[in-house]
Amino acid sequence: MKLKKVLALALAATMTLSLVACGGGNADTNTDTPAADTSTDAPADNANDSTDAPAANADDSADAAAPAEGVPSYSQVNVGTDYTDLTATIKWLHHKTDRAEDGTIDAMIADFNKVYPNITVEPEAITDYHEDSLLRLSSGDWGDIMFIPAVDKSELATYFQPLDTLDNMAKEINFADAWQFDGISYGVPYMANAQGVVYNKAVFEAAGVTELPKTPDEFIAALQAIKDNTDAIPLYTNYAAGWTMGAWDAYIGVVSNGDDTYMNQKFAHAADPFKDNGDGTGAYALYKILFDAVANGLIEDDYTTTDWEGCKGMINRGEIGTMVLGSWAFAQMVEAGDHGDDIGYMPFPMSVNGTQYALAGGDFNFAINVNSSDENKTAAMVFIKWMTEESGWCYNEGGYTVDKNGKNPDMYAAFDGCTVLADQPALAGEETMLNDINAESELSFNAGGNTKVQRIVEAAATGSETFDDIMADWTAAWNDAQEELGIEVK
Amino acid sequence: MATKPRKRSFGQWATSRDGQKVFVMVAFMTVPLLLLFVFTYLPFAEMFGFSFYNMKYVGARKFVGFKNYIRVFQRDDCFGALKLSLYYMVGSVVQLALSLYLATVLSFKVKGSGIFKGFMFFPFLINGIAIGFIFKFFYTRGFVFDTVLQWCGFQLDNLPYWLRDKGVNNISLVGTSVWRYFGQNMVLFIGAIMSVDGELYEAAMLDGANRFQQFKYIILPSIKTIITLNVILSITGSLSAFEPPYVITSGANGTGTYFVIMHEIAHTQQKVGLASAMAVVLLMIIFAATILQKLFFKYVFKSADDEDLNATAKRDKKLAKMAARKAGR
Repeated sequence: MKLKKVLALALAATMTLSLVACGGGNADTNTDTPAADTSTDAPADNANDSTDAPAANADDSADAAAPAEGVPSYSQVNVGTDYTDLTATIKWLHHKTDRAEDGTIDAMIADFNKVYPNITVEPEAITDYHEDSLLRLSSGDWGDIMFIPAVDKSELATYFQPLDTLDNMAKEINFADAWQFDGISYGVPYMANAQGVVYNKAVFEAAGVTELPKTPDEFIAALQAIKDNTDAIPLYTNYAAGWTMGAWDAYIGVVSNGDDTYMNQKFAHAADPFKDNGDGTGAYALYKILFDAVANGLIEDDYTTTDWEGCKGMINRGEIGTMVLGSWAFAQMVEAGDHGDDIGYMPFPMSVNGTQYALAGGDFNFAINVNSSDENKTAAMVFIKWMTEESGWCYNEGGYTVDKNGKNPDMYAAFDGCTVLADQPALAGEETMLNDINAESELSFNAGGNTKVQRIVEAAATGSETFDDIMADWTAAWNDAQEELGIEVK
Repeated sequence: MATKPRKRSFGQWATSRDGQKVFVMVAFMTVPLLLLFVFTYLPFAEMFGFSFYNMKYVGARKFVGFKNYIRVFQRDDCFGALKLSLYYMVGSVVQLALSLYLATVLSFKVKGSGIFKGFMFFPFLINGIAIGFIFKFFYTRGFVFDTVLQWCGFQLDNLPYWLRDKGVNNISLVGTSVWRYFGQNMVLFIGAIMSVDGELYEAAMLDGANRFQQFKYIILPSIKTIITLNVILSITGSLSAFEPPYVITSGANGTGTYFVIMHEIAHTQQKVGLASAMAVVLLMIIFAATILQKLFFKYVFKSADDEDLNATAKRDKKLAKMAARKAGR
């Protein structure tokens, strides 16, 4: 009896207390959600960082400068003739789960084994490559070949076999400098992407545009011709999706000024990056294209309700003239309907001193485990070079050619006359500078700064601001951020 | 010799009923309080701490004192966004009036009231993200809404672009939130109205009161608590509106509410300190708004307090005191 009473009392007390507690909790949930976000994210990110930490084998980096004894350098291997009798079993860690499932990878390895019957390749596809590859890398248990994950360049020699000197490599492949350190190249991209404009050839033809526009003025004229002569939307902005507006940032560097060091080395230091050069170059002219197109009514009628999935079919059916997107989008537009042949890809319509530039960059890079045996390293070297030169993978994926002597897919036909460059990496000690100034100025170029480009569309459509006002505003934000961060202005 | 009261040792106390009571209470309290502390107050304290730093999610932190708070008040976008809350507040008033009306009608004998309740409550059951997508197409030029209006005789050329024209796009967004929540408010009101004694209506009818008078003198006073609660929740909710602008327009084109701006600053720009400061400022604003409303309702329902025994007792005491003071003079 007594026990029952105590129990009942205690129960009642706890229930009241927990009710009070719950009440208090609920009252706060409205406001402190961001807190929950920050407190859970921060430690998790820190944990990721620690996986980058250097591992053992620092002594290997001493002789890393020269290719190790017994292992040929990339340029020394002649694919198809050398090492055909080599026997080895190599493991390859990759992220292309889709290509593993549809059999592309197995088919390529089968082709490889026709020439090199004794080299067994064991591919392993992992889904969450960005995370898992770093873990596997730090544990050392990943086989012989992998795609280089996000490691510091100074640590490349700790993990990976030097493939060749940068000079030799640059003669063999494009984009050789993506994973180089101190003039030694550690990676070969399996494919590359180029930045341009997706367009519909049939619409251009119907509009009477026979030559692809090369300057902003010609581009606007072409859009006007599409508006006058066809029913298609000349330029589809994809305003509502947001990130599709941020895609315009990709053209600030090489494309708008022909300087491959601009984006990562000069942009953050620029005193007046958004000034009017007056000759159709630079960031000013780039965003002016968008502003003019909107102001002249050359975009979709109701830009706030654009639909990303829908636009693929629309350009395929010839209801859209052009869209400013990277080359990765090309294949999706082709596959979105029955008129895939009409889809074309052209360099961005800006010329610097009469030359059109295109920005291209390598995708994931093959690299070889520095701790593998010499036979495995040699076999891996042969496999990588065969993949680059003979497999046709890059071509089949619609990528810009990695092999210097390789053939580009037809979609890049329009790129023949232009200079294709990749952005140079940031200078030592300034690797985070662009990120920092992007965040501080809140303009976030190439980093999710969609609202600033959307603002151009709104201003042009409603007349709420002039283009020069926006550019002046950006310049002020940029200069304030430089001052705040103590970045030297050059 | 007087006997001293027997002092119990700790051991005795612990095994006694009083001691057990305390132990059990402490033991049961520990778990919920620990959960509350770890998952609510600790993160909040952390965020409060963040608001004094210039920091990203990763990397070094720099203590900047009140600079983030000063920035919140200096930036146009933060407080400009709060002006949008006015749209949502007006919307919530419309929403409450509508749901109160429907609740009253449906709580009397109406044919098919169950079906109507179901239909009107249904939107609340749909996921907020899905509602966003539904309304994106609903408002697209020449799609659902425009088509329906054209059936009613409107010309497409005379209709605004629901999401593009800055004059109407916030009203369009508020419309979606009214559509979503009025059913829920209505169900709450119906629940409260059900608890009113049915005999009161009969008595009122005998006295010749019509429906409106019944509503005004019977229903409204009986459910004032739930009305107060709903108003407070709606106003707080409209200060922190997030889903409709985030999903339908991504906060573009002048529809970015305070929460959307805060999300952008915290996650795109990674200015975690500034965003935390914004969160703290919003919390203060919500506190202020809630207290103001409480005071307001206290004033509005003053006459109703008369029926409260406590209030009467208090007033009598006050009167007695005054009388005493007067007498003393």
